[in-house]
Amino acid sequence: MTSPSLHLKVVLPSDPRYLPVVRGAISPLAAAIGWDESGCREITLALDEALANIIRHAYHGRPDGLIELECRGSDDGLEVTLLDHGDPPDKTRICARAIACDQPGGLGTHIIKDVMDTVSYQATPAGNRFVATKRLRKTI
Amino acid sequence: MKISIRDAGATKIVEIEGDVDLGTSPDLRRTLFETLLEAPKLALNLAAIRYIDSSGIATLIEVLKDSQRRNKEFVLFGLSPAVQHVFHLTHVVRIFQVFQTEEEALGSA
Repeated sequence: MTSPSLHLKVVLPSDPRYLPVVRGAISPLAAAIGWDESGCREITLALDEALANIIRHAYHGRPDGLIELECRGSDDGLEVTLLDHGDPPDKTRICARAIACDQPGGLGTHIIKDVMDTVSYQATPAGNRFVATKRLRKTI
Repeated sequence: MKISIRDAGATKIVEIEGDVDLGTSPDLRRTLFETLLEAPKLALNLAAIRYIDSSGIATLIEVLKDSQRRNKEFVLFGLSPAVQHVFHLTHVVRIFQVFQTEEEALGSA
């Protein structure tokens, strides 16, 4: 039987104090879709990193920007969309760090790309759009 | 996030409790950099961390590099499952001295 899809939509300020609030929502959502504790932890971390990137790079630490977060879950997996109205992402600077390197930069992008199956950044008339998906791999 | 500091001989032990993220990692960074100046060795207890993100990991890397520049020792111990998971994801565990217990961390010099 196919379960009804899960849909969460939130608008939040670009204030780091909201990050724990989002983490508190996304982990149970991932669990409801079917991920185990480890999977929920990874998805939560990836979304947290994407939000932190927007706060740091699109809004440059300003806490009064707006971020629209939309999560769509189904039996097959999860799609996360983030929309912001800050500076557009500089695609030449979106790079994951090298594996096992001792430099502090680029860790967040590495985590996002490692955890999620697809990741895209797009500057649109409506704002900067980040979309990431992850399929639920079912074990029989 | 709560931070406490205590002495164990010549070593400063910093204990963190709660979440380390973009909002809280600047406090951790400031504390670790300041405490590193006060002792030849700094041991960080990560057992009570529920969550750590890349800004927290980046902070630990920065402190490690500063300790090396100053010819001091920076070690980690008691990694919680949440910390172990992120260390695994980011492949950084090999660059730190990591111990299971405080006793082992203090005896590492």
